[in-house]
Amino acid sequence: MKQGDKFVLYGLIVLAFILLIEYGFFQRRSDKVVVIRSDGKIVKELPISKDTLFEVKSKEGHLSVEIKNGKVRVINSTCKDKFCEKEGWISNIGESIICLPNRISISIIGKNGEKIDTITY
Amino acid sequence: MSSKKIVNIIAYIFVAVILIFVFTKGKPVEKPASSEIYSMNTICDLEIYGKDKEAALQKSVSIINTINSIVDDFSPQSDVYKINENAGIRPVKVSKTTIDILEKAIQIAKQTNGAFDPTIRPLLVIWGFKNKNYRVPTEEKIKAALKLISYQDIVINKEDNTVFLKHKGEGIDLGGIAKGYTLDKIKEALDNFNIKSALINMGGNVLTYKNPPNGSVWRIGIKNPRGSGIRGIITVKGTKFISTSGDYERYFIKNGVRYCHIINPKTGKPARKIISITVVSDKGYLGDALSTAFFVKGKEFALQNATRFNVGVVGFDDKMTPFISNNIKELITIYNEAR
Repeated sequence: MKQGDKFVLYGLIVLAFILLIEYGFFQRRSDKVVVIRSDGKIVKELPISKDTLFEVKSKEGHLSVEIKNGKVRVINSTCKDKFCEKEGWISNIGESIICLPNRISISIIGKNGEKIDTITY
Repeated sequence: MSSKKIVNIIAYIFVAVILIFVFTKGKPVEKPASSEIYSMNTICDLEIYGKDKEAALQKSVSIINTINSIVDDFSPQSDVYKINENAGIRPVKVSKTTIDILEKAIQIAKQTNGAFDPTIRPLLVIWGFKNKNYRVPTEEKIKAALKLISYQDIVINKEDNTVFLKHKGEGIDLGGIAKGYTLDKIKEALDNFNIKSALINMGGNVLTYKNPPNGSVWRIGIKNPRGSGIRGIITVKGTKFISTSGDYERYFIKNGVRYCHIINPKTGKPARKIISITVVSDKGYLGDALSTAFFVKGKEFALQNATRFNVGVVGFDDKMTPFISNNIKELITIYNEAR
Protein backbone atom coordinates (compact mmCIF):
# COMPACT_ATOMS: atom_id res chain seq x y z
CA MET A 1 0.00 0.00 0.00
CA LYS A 2 1.30 3.40 -0.88
CA GLN A 3 1.73 6.16 1.68
CA GLY A 4 -1.13 8.17 0.12
CA ASP A 5 -3.54 5.23 0.26
CA LYS A 6 -2.84 4.86 3.94
CA PHE A 7 -3.73 8.48 4.59
CA VAL A 8 -6.97 8.06 2.67
CA LEU A 9 -7.82 4.89 4.60
CA TYR A 10 -7.03 6.33 8.04
CA GLY A 11 -8.89 9.47 7.09
CA LEU A 12 -11.94 7.43 6.19
CA ILE A 13 -11.80 5.49 9.46
CA VAL A 14 -11.65 8.72 11.47
CA LEU A 15 -14.47 10.21 9.38
CA ALA A 16 -16.58 7.09 9.87
CA PHE A 17 -16.15 7.30 13.64
CA ILE A 18 -17.09 10.97 13.67
CA LEU A 19 -20.23 10.16 11.70
CA LEU A 20 -21.10 7.30 14.05
CA ILE A 21 -20.85 9.55 17.08
CA GLU A 22 -22.82 12.24 15.27
CA TYR A 23 -25.55 9.75 14.41
CA GLY A 24 -25.88 8.53 17.93
CA PHE A 25 -24.51 4.99 17.56
CA PHE A 26 -22.78 5.06 20.90
CA GLN A 27 -25.67 6.65 22.74
CA ARG A 28 -27.37 4.39 25.20
CA ARG A 29 -30.66 3.26 23.79
CA SER A 30 -32.84 5.46 25.94
CA ASP A 31 -36.01 3.95 27.26
CA LYS A 32 -38.92 6.10 28.35
CA VAL A 33 -37.94 9.25 30.20
CA VAL A 34 -40.14 11.33 32.47
CA VAL A 35 -39.70 15.06 31.88
CA ILE A 36 -40.89 17.44 34.58
CA ARG A 37 -41.43 21.09 33.76
CA SER A 38 -42.21 23.78 36.30
CA ASP A 39 -43.27 27.25 35.09
CA GLY A 40 -42.32 26.16 31.58
CA LYS A 41 -38.76 25.11 32.39
CA ILE A 42 -37.43 21.56 32.61
CA VAL A 43 -36.55 20.83 36.24
CA LYS A 44 -36.12 17.05 36.17
CA GLU A 45 -35.55 14.21 33.74
CA LEU A 46 -35.81 10.70 35.15
CA PRO A 47 -35.89 7.18 33.71
CA ILE A 48 -39.35 5.67 34.05
CA SER A 49 -37.79 2.33 34.95
CA LYS A 50 -36.59 3.48 38.35
CA ASP A 51 -39.24 3.68 41.09
CA THR A 52 -39.13 6.94 43.01
CA LEU A 53 -41.21 9.54 44.83
CA PHE A 54 -40.40 13.25 44.75
CA GLU A 55 -41.69 16.82 45.13
CA VAL A 56 -41.99 19.39 42.35
CA LYS A 57 -42.25 23.05 43.23
CA SER A 58 -43.40 26.01 41.16
CA LYS A 59 -44.14 29.64 41.95
CA GLU A 60 -47.78 28.70 42.40
CA GLY A 61 -47.53 25.58 44.54
CA HIS A 62 -46.17 22.08 44.66
CA LEU A 63 -47.12 18.46 44.10
CA SER A 64 -45.72 14.97 44.60
CA VAL A 65 -44.91 12.68 41.72
CA GLU A 66 -44.62 8.92 41.96
CA ILE A 67 -42.84 6.74 39.43
CA LYS A 68 -43.58 3.05 39.86
CA ASN A 69 -43.55 -0.04 37.63
CA GLY A 70 -42.93 2.02 34.51
CA LYS A 71 -45.82 4.41 35.20
CA VAL A 72 -46.11 7.95 36.55
CA ARG A 73 -48.79 9.71 38.57
CA VAL A 74 -49.38 12.79 40.68
CA ILE A 75 -50.24 12.42 44.33
CA ASN A 76 -50.99 15.33 46.66
CA SER A 77 -51.19 18.53 44.68
CA THR A 78 -51.69 21.86 46.40
CA CYS A 79 -54.04 22.93 43.58
CA LYS A 80 -57.78 23.36 44.00
CA ASP A 81 -59.29 21.29 41.21
CA LYS A 82 -57.02 18.19 41.58
CA PHE A 83 -57.40 17.22 37.91
CA CYS A 84 -53.74 16.20 37.96
CA GLU A 85 -54.43 13.69 40.74
CA LYS A 86 -57.59 12.38 39.05
CA GLU A 87 -55.60 11.80 35.86
CA GLY A 88 -54.12 8.66 37.42
CA TRP A 89 -51.21 6.72 35.96
CA ILE A 90 -49.69 7.48 32.57
CA SER A 91 -47.16 5.31 30.76
CA ASN A 92 -47.22 6.02 27.00
CA ILE A 93 -44.65 8.04 25.13
CA GLY A 94 -46.31 11.36 24.31
CA GLU A 95 -48.64 11.30 27.30
CA SER A 96 -48.59 13.98 29.94
CA ILE A 97 -50.21 15.10 33.15
CA ILE A 98 -50.70 18.82 33.39
CA CYS A 99 -51.40 20.72 36.58
CA LEU A 100 -52.63 24.04 35.22
CA PRO A 101 -53.01 25.89 38.53
CA ASN A 102 -49.49 24.94 39.62
CA ARG A 103 -48.04 25.31 36.12
CA ILE A 104 -46.32 21.95 36.33
CA SER A 105 -46.29 19.36 33.55
CA ILE A 106 -45.10 15.77 33.56
CA SER A 107 -44.58 14.15 30.18
CA ILE A 108 -43.16 10.89 28.92
CA ILE A 109 -40.72 10.96 26.04
CA GLY A 110 -38.57 8.22 24.57
CA LYS A 111 -37.60 6.03 21.68
CA ASN A 112 -38.80 2.55 22.45
CA GLY A 113 -42.43 1.66 22.39
CA GLU A 114 -45.33 3.09 20.49
CA LYS A 115 -44.69 6.72 19.76
CA ILE A 116 -47.25 9.51 19.73
CA ASP A 117 -46.33 13.02 18.61
CA THR A 118 -48.88 14.71 20.84
CA ILE A 119 -52.34 14.28 22.32
CA THR A 120 -55.64 15.99 21.56
CA TYR A 121 -58.06 16.43 24.47
CA MET B 1 -2.38 -12.72 -0.44
CA SER B 2 -0.18 -10.94 2.06
CA SER B 3 -1.47 -10.34 5.56
CA LYS B 4 -1.07 -6.62 4.96
CA LYS B 5 -3.50 -6.79 2.09
CA ILE B 6 -6.04 -8.68 4.20
CA VAL B 7 -5.81 -6.03 6.91
CA ASN B 8 -6.47 -3.39 4.27
CA ILE B 9 -9.49 -5.22 2.91
CA ILE B 10 -10.94 -5.65 6.39
CA ALA B 11 -10.36 -1.96 7.06
CA TYR B 12 -12.20 -0.97 3.88
CA ILE B 13 -15.10 -3.32 4.65
CA PHE B 14 -15.24 -1.81 8.14
CA VAL B 15 -15.48 1.69 6.71
CA ALA B 16 -18.11 0.60 4.19
CA VAL B 17 -20.29 -1.00 6.89
CA ILE B 18 -20.16 2.13 9.00
CA LEU B 19 -21.06 4.33 6.03
CA ILE B 20 -23.96 2.05 5.10
CA PHE B 21 -25.19 2.20 8.70
CA VAL B 22 -25.01 5.97 8.70
CA PHE B 23 -26.80 6.42 5.39
CA THR B 24 -29.56 3.90 6.06
CA LYS B 25 -30.21 5.40 9.49
CA GLY B 26 -30.97 8.74 7.94
CA LYS B 27 -30.09 12.16 9.14
CA PRO B 28 -30.11 12.78 12.85
CA VAL B 29 -33.13 14.77 13.96
CA GLU B 30 -32.22 18.35 14.68
CA LYS B 31 -33.24 19.86 17.97
CA PRO B 32 -36.40 21.93 17.78
CA ALA B 33 -36.84 25.40 19.12
CA SER B 34 -39.37 24.67 21.84
CA SER B 35 -41.31 26.35 24.58
CA GLU B 36 -44.00 25.53 27.10
CA ILE B 37 -46.09 28.51 28.12
CA TYR B 38 -49.26 29.04 30.13
CA SER B 39 -51.72 31.26 28.33
CA MET B 40 -55.41 31.32 27.38
CA ASN B 41 -56.24 29.43 30.52
CA THR B 42 -54.28 26.42 29.36
CA ILE B 43 -50.87 25.01 28.56
CA CYS B 44 -49.30 25.65 25.15
CA ASP B 45 -46.48 23.51 23.81
CA LEU B 46 -44.54 24.64 20.78
CA GLU B 47 -41.89 22.70 18.83
CA ILE B 48 -40.49 24.23 15.65
CA TYR B 49 -37.88 22.83 13.25
CA GLY B 50 -36.03 24.58 10.43
CA LYS B 51 -33.63 27.40 9.73
CA ASP B 52 -35.76 30.21 11.21
CA LYS B 53 -37.00 28.18 14.18
CA GLU B 54 -35.91 30.62 16.89
CA ALA B 55 -37.49 33.64 15.20
CA ALA B 56 -40.63 31.65 14.36
CA LEU B 57 -40.93 30.48 17.97
CA GLN B 58 -40.68 34.04 19.26
CA LYS B 59 -43.29 35.18 16.78
CA SER B 60 -45.64 32.31 17.69
CA VAL B 61 -45.37 33.01 21.41
CA SER B 62 -46.09 36.68 20.82
CA ILE B 63 -49.17 35.77 18.73
CA ILE B 64 -50.48 33.64 21.61
CA ASN B 65 -49.88 36.41 24.14
CA THR B 66 -51.41 39.08 21.92
CA ILE B 67 -54.61 37.14 21.26
CA ASN B 68 -54.81 36.16 24.93
CA SER B 69 -54.67 39.82 25.92
CA ILE B 70 -57.67 40.44 23.66
CA VAL B 71 -59.90 37.52 24.67
CA ASP B 72 -59.04 37.22 28.38
CA ASP B 73 -62.39 38.17 29.91
CA PHE B 74 -60.84 38.50 33.37
CA SER B 75 -58.48 41.29 32.35
CA PRO B 76 -60.05 44.79 32.40
CA GLN B 77 -57.70 45.76 29.56
CA SER B 78 -59.04 43.11 27.16
CA ASP B 79 -61.44 43.88 24.34
CA VAL B 80 -63.79 41.11 25.44
CA TYR B 81 -63.94 42.46 29.01
CA LYS B 82 -64.72 45.97 27.73
CA ILE B 83 -67.43 44.69 25.36
CA ASN B 84 -69.07 42.73 28.18
CA GLU B 85 -68.84 45.59 30.69
CA ASN B 86 -70.52 47.92 28.19
CA ALA B 87 -73.25 45.52 27.07
CA GLY B 88 -76.47 47.47 26.57
CA ILE B 89 -74.62 50.72 27.25
CA ARG B 90 -72.32 51.71 24.42
CA PRO B 91 -70.24 50.36 21.52
CA VAL B 92 -66.58 49.71 22.36
CA LYS B 93 -63.59 50.38 20.14
CA VAL B 94 -61.67 47.12 19.61
CA SER B 95 -58.76 45.74 17.61
CA LYS B 96 -59.18 44.34 14.10
CA THR B 97 -58.29 40.88 15.45
CA THR B 98 -61.25 41.00 17.84
CA ILE B 99 -63.59 41.84 14.97
CA ASP B 100 -62.08 39.07 12.85
CA ILE B 101 -62.57 36.44 15.58
CA LEU B 102 -66.11 37.63 16.27
CA GLU B 103 -67.05 37.53 12.59
CA LYS B 104 -65.79 33.96 12.34
CA ALA B 105 -67.60 33.02 15.55
CA ILE B 106 -70.87 34.50 14.25
CA GLN B 107 -70.42 32.71 10.92
CA ILE B 108 -70.18 29.32 12.68
CA ALA B 109 -73.00 30.20 15.04
CA LYS B 110 -75.19 30.80 11.96
CA GLN B 111 -74.02 27.63 10.21
CA THR B 112 -74.72 25.48 13.27
CA ASN B 113 -78.05 27.15 14.13
CA GLY B 114 -76.59 28.45 17.34
CA ALA B 115 -75.18 25.17 18.67
CA PHE B 116 -71.98 27.15 18.93
CA ASP B 117 -72.70 30.60 20.32
CA PRO B 118 -70.06 33.17 21.35
CA THR B 119 -72.58 34.88 23.66
CA ILE B 120 -72.67 31.83 25.96
CA ARG B 121 -71.04 33.70 28.86
CA PRO B 122 -74.13 34.32 31.09
CA LEU B 123 -74.72 30.55 31.20
CA LEU B 124 -71.09 29.79 32.05
CA VAL B 125 -71.38 32.30 34.89
CA ILE B 126 -74.49 30.82 36.51
CA TRP B 127 -73.08 27.28 36.34
CA GLY B 128 -69.92 28.53 38.04
CA PHE B 129 -67.54 27.71 35.19
CA LYS B 130 -66.14 31.23 35.23
CA ASN B 131 -65.03 31.36 38.86
CA LYS B 132 -64.75 27.58 39.52
CA ASN B 133 -67.51 27.86 42.09
CA TYR B 134 -69.49 25.07 40.42
CA ARG B 135 -73.21 24.80 41.15
CA VAL B 136 -76.47 23.67 39.58
CA PRO B 137 -78.56 26.83 39.05
CA THR B 138 -82.32 27.02 39.51
CA GLU B 139 -84.60 26.69 36.46
CA GLU B 140 -85.53 30.37 36.83
CA LYS B 141 -81.90 31.39 36.67
CA ILE B 142 -81.35 29.23 33.60
CA LYS B 143 -84.42 30.73 31.90
CA ALA B 144 -83.23 34.25 32.63
CA ALA B 145 -79.73 33.52 31.31
CA LEU B 146 -81.09 31.86 28.15
CA LYS B 147 -82.73 35.18 27.20
CA LEU B 148 -79.26 36.72 27.11
CA ILE B 149 -77.79 34.14 24.73
CA SER B 150 -77.99 35.48 21.19
CA TYR B 151 -75.18 35.87 18.71
CA GLN B 152 -77.53 38.08 16.66
CA ASP B 153 -77.14 40.69 19.40
CA ILE B 154 -73.47 41.25 18.55
CA VAL B 155 -73.34 44.48 16.54
CA ILE B 156 -70.10 44.96 14.64
CA ASN B 157 -69.24 48.30 13.05
CA LYS B 158 -66.24 47.78 10.79
CA GLU B 159 -65.91 51.46 9.89
CA ASP B 160 -65.42 52.58 13.47
CA ASN B 161 -63.96 49.24 14.62
CA THR B 162 -66.53 48.94 17.38
CA VAL B 163 -68.50 46.09 18.90
CA PHE B 164 -71.73 46.42 20.82
CA LEU B 165 -73.89 43.92 22.70
CA LYS B 166 -77.51 45.01 22.50
CA HIS B 167 -78.67 44.14 26.02
CA LYS B 168 -77.32 44.57 29.51
CA GLY B 169 -76.16 41.32 31.04
CA GLU B 170 -75.12 39.81 27.74
CA GLY B 171 -71.54 38.63 27.48
CA ILE B 172 -69.07 37.16 25.03
CA ASP B 173 -66.88 34.15 25.69
CA LEU B 174 -64.43 33.14 22.99
CA GLY B 175 -63.08 30.06 24.77
CA GLY B 176 -64.59 27.82 22.07
CA ILE B 177 -62.80 29.44 19.14
CA ALA B 178 -59.84 31.54 20.30
CA LYS B 179 -57.31 28.71 20.53
CA GLY B 180 -58.14 27.41 17.07
CA TYR B 181 -58.02 30.94 15.70
CA THR B 182 -54.61 31.44 17.32
CA LEU B 183 -53.34 28.29 15.61
CA ASP B 184 -54.48 29.76 12.27
CA LYS B 185 -52.45 32.89 12.96
CA ILE B 186 -49.41 30.83 13.99
CA LYS B 187 -49.73 28.79 10.80
CA GLU B 188 -49.80 32.00 8.72
CA ALA B 189 -46.73 33.26 10.57
CA LEU B 190 -44.83 29.99 10.03
CA ASP B 191 -45.53 30.30 6.29
CA ASN B 192 -43.45 33.48 6.28
CA PHE B 193 -40.43 31.79 7.82
CA ASN B 194 -38.09 29.08 6.59
CA ILE B 195 -39.64 26.29 8.68
CA LYS B 196 -39.47 22.56 7.91
CA SER B 197 -41.81 21.25 10.54
CA ALA B 198 -43.72 22.33 13.64
CA LEU B 199 -46.06 20.92 16.23
CA ILE B 200 -48.16 23.28 18.35
CA ASN B 201 -50.51 22.05 21.06
CA MET B 202 -52.71 24.63 22.78
CA GLY B 203 -54.67 22.87 25.46
CA GLY B 204 -55.42 19.88 23.25
CA ASN B 205 -55.95 21.93 20.07
CA VAL B 206 -53.20 20.74 17.79
CA LEU B 207 -51.53 22.22 14.71
CA THR B 208 -49.33 19.87 12.72
CA TYR B 209 -47.23 21.93 10.34
CA LYS B 210 -45.75 20.27 7.23
CA ASN B 211 -44.22 16.84 7.86
CA PRO B 212 -42.86 15.56 11.17
CA PRO B 213 -39.08 15.86 11.60
CA ASN B 214 -38.58 12.09 11.64
CA GLY B 215 -41.15 10.68 9.26
CA SER B 216 -44.03 11.32 6.94
CA VAL B 217 -47.07 11.08 9.23
CA TRP B 218 -48.01 12.70 12.50
CA ARG B 219 -49.46 10.43 15.15
CA ILE B 220 -51.92 12.24 17.39
CA GLY B 221 -53.24 10.37 20.41
CA ILE B 222 -56.90 10.76 21.35
CA LYS B 223 -57.08 11.07 25.11
CA ASN B 224 -59.11 8.49 26.97
CA PRO B 225 -62.17 10.45 28.17
CA ARG B 226 -62.65 8.11 31.11
CA GLY B 227 -59.35 7.63 32.89
CA SER B 228 -55.74 7.76 31.90
CA GLY B 229 -54.03 6.84 28.66
CA ILE B 230 -55.24 7.16 25.10
CA ARG B 231 -58.14 5.51 23.31
CA GLY B 232 -57.05 5.97 19.74
CA ILE B 233 -54.67 7.47 17.24
CA ILE B 234 -55.20 9.83 14.34
CA THR B 235 -52.53 9.78 11.68
CA VAL B 236 -52.35 12.93 9.60
CA LYS B 237 -50.08 14.12 6.81
CA GLY B 238 -48.93 17.69 6.44
CA THR B 239 -50.57 20.79 7.85
CA LYS B 240 -53.78 20.03 9.78
CA PHE B 241 -55.72 21.25 12.80
CA ILE B 242 -57.08 18.80 15.35
CA SER B 243 -59.51 19.95 18.06
CA THR B 244 -61.37 18.00 20.70
CA SER B 245 -64.34 18.83 22.91
CA GLY B 246 -65.24 16.51 25.75
CA ASP B 247 -67.03 16.32 29.07
CA TYR B 248 -63.87 15.38 30.99
CA GLU B 249 -61.73 18.51 30.81
CA ARG B 250 -63.71 20.88 32.99
CA TYR B 251 -66.65 19.42 34.85
CA PHE B 252 -68.14 18.79 38.25
CA ILE B 253 -70.16 15.90 39.59
CA LYS B 254 -73.16 16.53 41.82
CA ASN B 255 -75.44 13.75 43.12
CA GLY B 256 -73.83 11.35 40.68
CA VAL B 257 -74.52 13.54 37.63
CA ARG B 258 -71.67 14.89 35.54
CA TYR B 259 -71.97 18.56 34.52
CA CYS B 260 -69.40 19.61 31.91
CA HIS B 261 -68.36 23.10 30.82
CA ILE B 262 -69.87 22.88 27.34
CA ILE B 263 -73.37 24.21 27.73
CA ASN B 264 -76.13 23.79 25.18
CA PRO B 265 -77.09 27.38 24.23
CA LYS B 266 -80.69 26.23 23.59
CA THR B 267 -81.39 24.40 26.86
CA GLY B 268 -79.00 26.27 29.13
CA LYS B 269 -77.71 22.97 30.51
CA PRO B 270 -74.44 21.12 30.02
CA ALA B 271 -74.47 19.04 26.83
CA ARG B 272 -74.48 15.31 27.43
CA LYS B 273 -75.29 13.62 24.12
CA ILE B 274 -71.75 12.38 23.66
CA ILE B 275 -68.57 12.02 25.72
CA SER B 276 -66.07 13.53 23.31
CA ILE B 277 -65.54 14.54 19.71
CA THR B 278 -62.41 15.32 17.75
CA VAL B 279 -62.47 17.37 14.55
CA VAL B 280 -59.73 17.26 11.89
CA SER B 281 -59.79 20.32 9.65
CA ASP B 282 -57.83 22.68 7.44
CA LYS B 283 -58.77 25.73 9.50
CA GLY B 284 -58.08 26.04 13.20
CA TYR B 285 -61.01 28.27 14.14
CA LEU B 286 -63.39 26.01 12.24
CA GLY B 287 -62.25 22.81 13.97
CA ASP B 288 -62.25 24.43 17.39
CA ALA B 289 -65.75 25.93 17.14
CA LEU B 290 -67.20 22.90 15.32
CA SER B 291 -65.97 20.48 17.97
CA THR B 292 -68.05 22.50 20.46
CA ALA B 293 -71.09 22.63 18.17
CA PHE B 294 -70.84 18.90 17.38
CA PHE B 295 -70.46 18.09 21.07
CA VAL B 296 -73.71 19.95 21.72
CA LYS B 297 -75.60 18.50 18.74
CA GLY B 298 -74.39 14.92 19.10
CA LYS B 299 -73.26 12.05 16.92
CA GLU B 300 -75.82 12.08 14.08
CA PHE B 301 -75.46 15.79 13.41
CA ALA B 302 -71.66 15.53 13.48
CA LEU B 303 -71.55 12.59 11.04
CA GLN B 304 -74.11 14.20 8.70
CA ASN B 305 -72.40 17.58 8.65
CA ALA B 306 -68.72 16.58 8.51
CA THR B 307 -68.53 16.77 4.71
CA ARG B 308 -70.53 20.01 4.56
CA PHE B 309 -67.79 21.68 6.58
CA ASN B 310 -65.03 19.68 4.89
CA VAL B 311 -63.84 18.22 8.18
CA GLY B 312 -63.35 14.74 9.60
CA VAL B 313 -64.78 13.69 12.94
CA VAL B 314 -64.08 10.90 15.41
CA GLY B 315 -65.81 10.66 18.75
CA PHE B 316 -67.26 8.57 21.54
CA ASP B 317 -71.00 8.53 22.17
CA ASP B 318 -72.60 8.44 25.63
CA LYS B 319 -71.88 4.70 25.90
CA MET B 320 -68.21 5.16 24.88
CA THR B 321 -68.93 3.56 21.49
CA PRO B 322 -66.65 5.14 18.90
CA PHE B 323 -67.95 6.77 15.72
CA ILE B 324 -65.93 8.03 12.76
CA SER B 325 -66.91 9.99 9.65
CA ASN B 326 -66.29 8.14 6.37
CA ASN B 327 -63.82 10.72 5.06
CA ILE B 328 -61.20 9.92 7.73
CA LYS B 329 -61.90 6.23 8.44
CA GLU B 330 -58.48 5.16 7.16
CA LEU B 331 -56.68 7.67 9.40
CA ILE B 332 -58.11 6.44 12.69
CA THR B 333 -57.13 3.58 14.96
CA ILE B 334 -59.39 3.02 17.96
CA TYR B 335 -58.31 0.82 20.87
CA ASN B 336 -60.82 -1.31 22.73
CA GLU B 337 -59.32 -0.16 25.98
CA ALA B 338 -57.13 2.65 27.16
CA ARG B 339 -53.43 2.33 26.43
